[in-house]
Amino acid sequence: MVNLPTTPADILPFIIAVVTSHTFITLVIFPGFIHLTIVVMFLTWYERKLLARIQLRIGPLYAGGPGGILQPIADGVKLIFKEVMIPYKADKPLFLGIPLALVFLGALPFAVIPFGQHWVIANLDVGLVFVFAVASLFPSMILIFAWASNSKYPFLGGLRSLFQQVAYEIPMWISALSVVMLAGSLNLVQIVNAQQKIWFIVPAFLSFIVFFIASMAELERLPFDLPSAEPELVAGWFTESSGAVFMVIFLALYMKLYLMSSLITVLFLGGWWGPAFLPQPVWFILKALVVATIIIIPRGVYARLRVDLLIKVGWTRLLIIALANVFITVVLLSTGVLSAWGL
Amino acid sequence: MTLNPWLLIVIWGIILIILTGPMITLPIFWSRRKPDPFRDMPFESGQVPQGEARKRIVMQYYPYLLMFVVFDVVGMFLFAWGISFRGIPAADSFLVLLFLVLLGAPLGYALKMALQRENW
Amino acid sequence: MDLSVPPDITFVVLTTVTLLAAVMALQAKELIYGAISLAISFIGIAGFFVSLDAPYLAMLQIAVYVGAVVILILFTIMLVRREEADKDEAGETGESAAGLWLAGLLAVSIAGIAALAGPNLPATPPPANLPVSELGPVLAGAYPVPLIILALLLSGALLGALVLAKVDR
Repeated sequence: MVNLPTTPADILPFIIAVVTSHTFITLVIFPGFIHLTIVVMFLTWYERKLLARIQLRIGPLYAGGPGGILQPIADGVKLIFKEVMIPYKADKPLFLGIPLALVFLGALPFAVIPFGQHWVIANLDVGLVFVFAVASLFPSMILIFAWASNSKYPFLGGLRSLFQQVAYEIPMWISALSVVMLAGSLNLVQIVNAQQKIWFIVPAFLSFIVFFIASMAELERLPFDLPSAEPELVAGWFTESSGAVFMVIFLALYMKLYLMSSLITVLFLGGWWGPAFLPQPVWFILKALVVATIIIIPRGVYARLRVDLLIKVGWTRLLIIALANVFITVVLLSTGVLSAWGL
Repeated sequence: MTLNPWLLIVIWGIILIILTGPMITLPIFWSRRKPDPFRDMPFESGQVPQGEARKRIVMQYYPYLLMFVVFDVVGMFLFAWGISFRGIPAADSFLVLLFLVLLGAPLGYALKMALQRENW
Repeated sequence: MDLSVPPDITFVVLTTVTLLAAVMALQAKELIYGAISLAISFIGIAGFFVSLDAPYLAMLQIAVYVGAVVILILFTIMLVRREEADKDEAGETGESAAGLWLAGLLAVSIAGIAALAGPNLPATPPPANLPVSELGPVLAGAYPVPLIILALLLSGALLGALVLAKVDR
């Protein structure tokens, strides 16, 4: 424990001790707030460039040097100076407060996601269900926000978003159950440590597919885009957001994208394990970016799916496949086939 | 300093609130604010909105919501089983699998009822 | 009551948040605010579970109550038409007086129990030593019958709710 400063001469060593302590570095720098902001802003630029190349365009070009790398900052500055239009008879405290709650809940689970053997803010024993519990709060908040906008398009979009996200949460949980059974713990650090010899994507391949599809549905990415369908509902549940409100919601969506990519990396792709020529957190971020790329690419390629068929598929086919993988995992673990890899 | 992880989560939450709070509160202070009745009307691609905005609840997916509540609870119980799967005797795991199978028939029936659209 | 020990700040904060949110949930004019306050009071209760060394139960509380039950409550609120919700009938049947009387009775009885049984309780609560990995064996091993009854209860509740909500044409 550091000693609290008692004399004025003690203050500077105290500050230095706090700033260089592991807790402070993980909280603020990595994987804390600074790293999160930088990566989320990078992801917005990355998605625009990637989709542009898929659609044979160029994408952001002029903002800040070659490739428009400072485009997210330019967008942010533009949006915070725009007027925040509050729709007629909308619920003002909810309309302004819920986007903040969305970005808060999108960034909160990063406290338990490990980016390296010791690069985790809070090594929680129930880390995985913490992430899932926080993720289950999103649908209700989107519904309240859509209701607060007092407008038909957002309300319909919010209802569809609620049902879609609720439908795909259960397959996500059941497919994560296979990983929990293989690792024997809910602690995310222990789940990654159990993948030292073999990544869980190999024994739990069906679970990986189900989890991947379910997380694309949770993120409302094409082809599961109907709650924010552009030709249909203008912009879905955030139609009435403008200026800073839109920026905060936009940030929350990309925060969730990074969260789901990191979660897939932790659960299925072996977290930070890789050949030793790169440090562990770099492997983690590389793998998370690869997953994010695969999540972003269908947006430029596929057509949109109808929402009632989507919800039906989530409850019937995906749930059955996830349950089948749980049974397969039971069989694999009981017969001891995986003991060669320490599982 | 090994702090309680929950305390670290609370500290992280406080940091988030402090650093993301100004994202909306500051722009509200320094952005232009002139409420205009025509501009603030809900957006309907140019036409004047008619009727109440929050009227139509889609009841078609209500059974999925009820199924979600039940399977939320079941999922959390299954996580508790999944952690200790390797440490408990096979009879207990068989019991939990029986628990799952017992829920399978009502799930199938609920899905069948949910897919018949004239019920809603 | 031992006033020389300073109150635990976690307990004080959680109690204030939970009770305030619960009172707001009952008193809010707009029903949606009531639902949000109810969600906050559920999160407060989950905080109590964490402070009592039951983190898994806290996560179950958040995932099930705030994640699913609150959505159902929101749905119900949105189905109620505005003119039915705005009728103000408080104060006519003396419900506030009855509420105060009942609250006072409850406070007096709790104070009495605390004063009579308080000195016999241990100074610190016994540590709850059930790590998360022990929950599974206890659940399936020691309580098999409640597990099966739970399955039947859940399926009965699900099918009952569906049958009640169905529209008979």
